[in-house]
Amino acid sequence: MKKRLLIMNAISMILLSGCSGDGKVTDSDLALLKTTHPPAVLIDKNTKENLDLVQSIEYDVEKMKELYDVAVVKSNGDTLVAYKVKHLQRFHMKKIEKKMTKMLEEKYPDENFIVSSDYKIFIEAVELQEKMKDPKFTDKEAKKKLDKIIKLKNEMT
Amino acid sequence: MSNKANKTPEQMKYEKLEQKHELKRPVLKNCIRAFWVGGLICTVGQAVTYFYIYFFNFTEQTAGNPTVATMIFISMLLTGFGVYDRLGQFAGAGSAVPVTGFGNAVISAAIEHRTEGFVLGVGGNMFKLAGSVILFGVFSAFVVALIKTLLTIWGVI
Amino acid sequence: MLKGKQSWVFQNLPVIASAGVSGGPFEANGNLSEDFDVLHDDLWMGEDSYEKAHRVLMEEAGQTALNKANVQKEDVQFYIAGDLINQITPSSLSARTIQIPYFGVFGACSTSMEGLALASFIVNYHGADHVLTGASSHNAAVEKQFRYPTEYGGQKPPTAQWTVTGAGAALVSAKADGPNLPVTTSATIGKVIDMGLTDPFNMGGAMAPAAADTITAHFKDMQLDPSHYDLIVTGDLGRIGQETTYELLQNNGLKIDREKFKDCGLMIYKEDQPVQSGGSGAGCSAAVLYGHLLNQMKQGAYRRILVVATGALLSPLTFQQSESIPCIAHAVSIEMT
Repeated sequence: MKKRLLIMNAISMILLSGCSGDGKVTDSDLALLKTTHPPAVLIDKNTKENLDLVQSIEYDVEKMKELYDVAVVKSNGDTLVAYKVKHLQRFHMKKIEKKMTKMLEEKYPDENFIVSSDYKIFIEAVELQEKMKDPKFTDKEAKKKLDKIIKLKNEMT
Repeated sequence: MSNKANKTPEQMKYEKLEQKHELKRPVLKNCIRAFWVGGLICTVGQAVTYFYIYFFNFTEQTAGNPTVATMIFISMLLTGFGVYDRLGQFAGAGSAVPVTGFGNAVISAAIEHRTEGFVLGVGGNMFKLAGSVILFGVFSAFVVALIKTLLTIWGVI
Repeated sequence: MLKGKQSWVFQNLPVIASAGVSGGPFEANGNLSEDFDVLHDDLWMGEDSYEKAHRVLMEEAGQTALNKANVQKEDVQFYIAGDLINQITPSSLSARTIQIPYFGVFGACSTSMEGLALASFIVNYHGADHVLTGASSHNAAVEKQFRYPTEYGGQKPPTAQWTVTGAGAALVSAKADGPNLPVTTSATIGKVIDMGLTDPFNMGGAMAPAAADTITAHFKDMQLDPSHYDLIVTGDLGRIGQETTYELLQNNGLKIDREKFKDCGLMIYKEDQPVQSGGSGAGCSAAVLYGHLLNQMKQGAYRRILVVATGALLSPLTFQQSESIPCIAHAVSIEMT
């Protein structure tokens, strides 16, 4: 019995410490569990116009009552909108996606939107947004990361 | 041949007498157990899905495949250790309906017939229970896909 | 000597000179573990397949019976055995080992009494001095043949029964030294009864009418009253089958004391063992009769018993083809002289 207890302890220790490996828990680590409300991210010419645009997109999307968390990333080509749907609304995922795409395309006809409700895309978007805070993280790297996310999104089973 | 349809009056009379003594399946108890154990297995499955989303490059869409593989692997281990049949007796449909039940059906038949050799024993009998699941699964998938294709061609959906 | 319609009376009183019983790990944890001569703590029994382990069980039971009676196998004229596996191979292979002229018999779980009745008959009419008879079953081997794989997680209904891993063998002799030996006095051979039940997970319910029919026929042929016996014991009817049989017998006008009506399948395991409705299998009645019951008789607990072994004569093929389950029962009465 004692041996079993010891093993249990060891396992739980490993599990617990695994969660806080580098001592610093970032939002992207917890993006699955809590509402993060990441600010919109711009990988583009840093004009006032563009900034307003992403913020307005984020605001518009967040207005939808079926969602509870939104991450927006805009580069010069594409705009990624990742969102989390309220649990009971997950039955209507397809409908929500359609509605959102329609709304966005009508309002911002010049933008090319990539819309995803996937947790993974959301996590990656939050991670990207966190990395952008680091001044050493160049725009080129950011663009590369965004392309990777988009590629991941289009991947099917 | 005496089928259910043409029983003699004597047989009917006996059936009534026997029914009186027959122990009934505890349906409600079985349902509750199946609900809990089935739910527990699915929770483990969900945890595995999140594991793949977090630590590997899988989205919600693509994490399904490795999750199924992992769950089947776990159920095969449990079958080999002789735990799964006890779980099955306790939980009934709760452990038979999830994909782990499929893994159990395959590996239990394989274990059972290993004394008859690898080719005719394991190879020949491995799918004796799961074979019909595969056959009718594939066939019904084919029929549904056919219907959907036809409906799409005719412009119904 | 034929008496009545379907019963034999053994007026020369063949003696059950000795008996041997072997069992598996599940039986070792059961109610009657003390009455087993050989107990294995592993289902494999050192063999590389369950069928071979099955054969070992039968061989051990037979050999133990011979050793106990101090009879050489060359002195035994016939060997009558059977089991539940395809073409009764474990019994036939044990006959290959033991090298005694052999009758292979099949009566599903009634094989034990079929064998004992035939052995007694042969000995009674001087067909042999010694006949070895036995029956066996092995849980994993039988389940493999009749049901799902053992490790398959299917739910068994409460009517299901657990196949006994065990074998029992008895040496029936024309005469034997030593007092205090049980003799067989009569036997009733049953006819196949089919009441149209099709559920292979409810064998007890299917076999009950056959048991009731044979018991009724026995008392009619022998012109006896049930109170003649200290104990009437059925083979492997289980909880449901036994209750049903009891009611059928009462309907037939036989007044049997409920206390004196037992079932081997219910005696062999403890209450808390997960066997649903009780034990079953050809080895069940053989192991309980040749082990526990004969010991009890020798200790004086019973003077006269009637053993009724019941068998469900189905195969995996017939029930998949939705054929109903035909059943049979044979009765042998054993008395202390």
